[in-house]
Amino acid sequence: MKSDLKSLNELSRREFVASAAKACLGVSLLPMAGSYVHTPVHALQPGTRPANARHLIYLYMSAGMSHMDTFAPNTDADKDSYQGPVSPISTSADGVFLSEYLPETAKHMHNAAIIRTMMTSQGAHMQGNYLMHTSYQMRGTITHPTFGSWIAKMSGPINSTIPMNIAINGRSGSSGFLESKFGPLPIGNPAAGLANSKAADYLDQTRFDGRLAMAQKMNASFLDNYDQKQVRAYTDLYNDAIKLMRSEDLKAFDVASEPDAMKDLYGRSAFGQGCLLARRLVENKVRYIEVNRGGWDTHSNNFEAVENNCADLDKGLSALLLDLEMRGLLQDTMIVLVSEFGRTPRINGGNGRDHWPYGFSAFLAGGGVKGGTVYGKMDKVGRNPVEGKFVDPAGLNATIGYNMGLPLNDVQYSPSGRPFKVAHDGEPCLDVLA
Amino acid sequence: MVWRWILCVLAYTTLSFSYAEEPFRTFTAVNGQSFTARALSYEGQTFYLEGKDKKLYPVPYNQLSEVDQSYLRELSQVGKLPIGDPRNLVSKQPAASTKEQTGKTEESATMKDSISESTDGQRLKAQPKKIAKLRPGSFFSYQPVKLGQDPNLAVAAMSGGPPKAGEPIDFTNHVLPILEDRCLNCHNEPYDKNGRTIQPKAGLALNTYEMVMKGNLDNTVVTAGDVADSYLHEVLTLDEDDDMFMPPKGGPLTAEQIDIIKRWIEEGAKPKGSGGGGGAVVGAGISFHDHIFPILEDRCLDCHGEPYVKNGRTIHPKAGLALNTYEFVLKGNLDGPIVERGNHEESTLYVVMTLDPDDSELMPPKGEPLTEDEISLFKQWIDEGAKEYPSDIFDKPKEDKVAVALTSVANAKVPLVDLLGKRLSKPSKTQIEVASKTGALVTPLSVKHNMIRAEFSSGPNLIEDDAVRALSGIQNNISHLDLSRTKVTNSAIGNVSKMKHLTWLGLRNTGINDQAVKKIKNLQFLRCLNLSGTKVTDGAIKDLAQMKDLEELYLWNSEISEKGVESLRSALPKTKVVF
Repeated sequence: MKSDLKSLNELSRREFVASAAKACLGVSLLPMAGSYVHTPVHALQPGTRPANARHLIYLYMSAGMSHMDTFAPNTDADKDSYQGPVSPISTSADGVFLSEYLPETAKHMHNAAIIRTMMTSQGAHMQGNYLMHTSYQMRGTITHPTFGSWIAKMSGPINSTIPMNIAINGRSGSSGFLESKFGPLPIGNPAAGLANSKAADYLDQTRFDGRLAMAQKMNASFLDNYDQKQVRAYTDLYNDAIKLMRSEDLKAFDVASEPDAMKDLYGRSAFGQGCLLARRLVENKVRYIEVNRGGWDTHSNNFEAVENNCADLDKGLSALLLDLEMRGLLQDTMIVLVSEFGRTPRINGGNGRDHWPYGFSAFLAGGGVKGGTVYGKMDKVGRNPVEGKFVDPAGLNATIGYNMGLPLNDVQYSPSGRPFKVAHDGEPCLDVLA
Repeated sequence: MVWRWILCVLAYTTLSFSYAEEPFRTFTAVNGQSFTARALSYEGQTFYLEGKDKKLYPVPYNQLSEVDQSYLRELSQVGKLPIGDPRNLVSKQPAASTKEQTGKTEESATMKDSISESTDGQRLKAQPKKIAKLRPGSFFSYQPVKLGQDPNLAVAAMSGGPPKAGEPIDFTNHVLPILEDRCLNCHNEPYDKNGRTIQPKAGLALNTYEMVMKGNLDNTVVTAGDVADSYLHEVLTLDEDDDMFMPPKGGPLTAEQIDIIKRWIEEGAKPKGSGGGGGAVVGAGISFHDHIFPILEDRCLDCHGEPYVKNGRTIHPKAGLALNTYEFVLKGNLDGPIVERGNHEESTLYVVMTLDPDDSELMPPKGEPLTEDEISLFKQWIDEGAKEYPSDIFDKPKEDKVAVALTSVANAKVPLVDLLGKRLSKPSKTQIEVASKTGALVTPLSVKHNMIRAEFSSGPNLIEDDAVRALSGIQNNISHLDLSRTKVTNSAIGNVSKMKHLTWLGLRNTGINDQAVKKIKNLQFLRCLNLSGTKVTDGAIKDLAQMKDLEELYLWNSEISEKGVESLRSALPKTKVVF
């Protein structure tokens, strides 16, 4: 299982270098593309409204998680054609029920909230994923920044050595029209940490410095002649890379240094170790960490697959909630778990569930979240809310953005001069926030 | 300059007059010097004064102070002063008096280009724009009417059109438009034309209510309630071939227009249509043009008028704020609008006129503050929605749905940090620089106050005790301090204990022990304490148990035993102890 996931998600070295340079070091390989430098927004001069959370761990259930079998078991539904064999269990919050597949997470429900009236306009994976991450629909003419890039842009770094936006187990999207330094730094395999970030064994400090000095000497005349922002950006690239390489903060990526008991607590899967890495990164004050977990496209044999996935999810998620709370980090960290859409409430012929954008669930926990709340309730077939209003991806992102003190009304312009906002004018769902 | 005119005075012996002698009084010149004299006569703009030394001093009218000017003006208006050089008057005494009796005609002619009472030292407006007369039926001669407004009412309001039967005459709405149309070509207040000052004919300006009521040096032109005694009405009704018939060009006023002026005088020649001169008509609604603009014009436009040209330079309104049209008033300046429709308390315009008299921001900065009546007009106008015409419909602006959602969650409970922060002053830039030099990230917690979060997030393993000492310059402002994973020791906690407004302290994974807890137990505002991963043992329980106000206490991975935590939990029932 572990090796499968690894081979699926690991990037080639060349790819990694390219995206690491782009993401982590603030330049694009096509520097001209990033030349429309936006004036930095210091919108998060913390204060206009204090942020209730400073970090976001975004657990993305790729390919469409079955909400009926996880966070929204429907007690009224007909067992044979809708709910299937999954029964609800009570949680640490009164009157809130989760699926029996999530027994450990249920113990943390007093710190968490669920929005059960999520709705999206996209029923295909790629488009749904894009909309969920960016709040905007896919367009041929523009690439929108992911929500993590928005957070990085709007709130700025707390730790200036490590990139602000890190995607574990594969990434979705990019910084779009924002500067590439706000885009996600992908970590293919959390257990391996940040690859290619150490100097080679044969290269001692003196020789390394010598090589750098020579490179600088060769660059000097060019820099003199072309003293421009884009050219200087390459120098910054080297400086930032070296700063990170020599920094003790690099240890943040070193999951291997965790005790075995801790690794076991999170589960030895890519997702579990990803959550563990996410916790280490929060300790190092990284703004946005996304942990991706695929395998939810259960068109057939839904219940077996979901049960397997949930075992992994439950372990990683509950360990993360527990660990953060013990360390006193939960009050500053918001955890969001969501998928691009839900799956049909009605079970199909192959004992599976198909795509269902009309109603699904989002799980929120941690700082600023009103623990033990459930927002909304869908009817038996998940078509319309019986209680509450629909919350679309923009609404969910606005909820998160509001909680993190982002300026939701601030307008950023793409290179072609079109206006965009953090959460696309989504209406925050304030019922789930404290 | 000083008393230049005195130097060139010739001395004459005084002669006796048939006119009653005026008493001696003190005259003051514009430059502040004064002397005692009495008025004898005047000719043109020159007044002849007799000093105590019996010498005659011809004094230009505009060299005298305002008080003296109005004194002399009144004297001349009631006919107490003869016209002409007193030296000639004696010999021509009979002639002069006959001249006086033959009527105002000749006298006015003498006066016509004579007296300008106001202008030296004041700025002049640029030449007034001539309003182009449009061909009847031209598109541009139609007044635009807003959607939803009764076109008849709107046009009537805009053109100041004919008053309805029974409606009291309003000066601004009904009389002034007639004056503007037919009289201001000659009777405009002094203005600048190609560098020359153009004075109103006969010294009579008719631009505003006050000017109309003031008249000129000869006399007032309007006597409230008495049409027969009002010269303004008289000249309109003379024979057309009479020399004094007004207006001299363009034919007589229509009977309707003359009637309006007549009725206005009969009704008391008030500045406002009704309601006893000036007060807002309760219930009728405040109109920008009728009620607000006259005040602005009187008290604000000197500084906040439209840009004008003075000696070839363009003079812009102060603070970039022009108040000469409705649109400009609503637009405000670069700092934002000055009128918040429906909310006078949020409206800068209202606020600046109601400040303390010694506040430097009080408007207007010169002269008396606005009267209570005037201020209440502004208040009512803004609260009604700052409408141009009372009949306009004021919709509360639709707010952004996001903004509504954002503001709807006002925290009922004021956080402790906000309360503490209110009393503190802002740390200086140098203090913050010193504090940040050692690697601390120092950020303000709010724009509302000066509380600060200090943390060591990049490379905490390099941070040692001196970094905490470096924070001492801003120690009172620190409310959140995160020392997690740094190499600080107990000795740094001594500095921490001096941060008396600390509410949040993170010591996770540091080497501190029970001694440190002893030092911080007196931090009375501390609400959240993170000791997880520290060397704190059961020995600290006694001290921790005294921190009754703690809301959160993290002890996981410390050396405190389970039993110790149990006793802590019973000692601190309100605290969430995480172990």
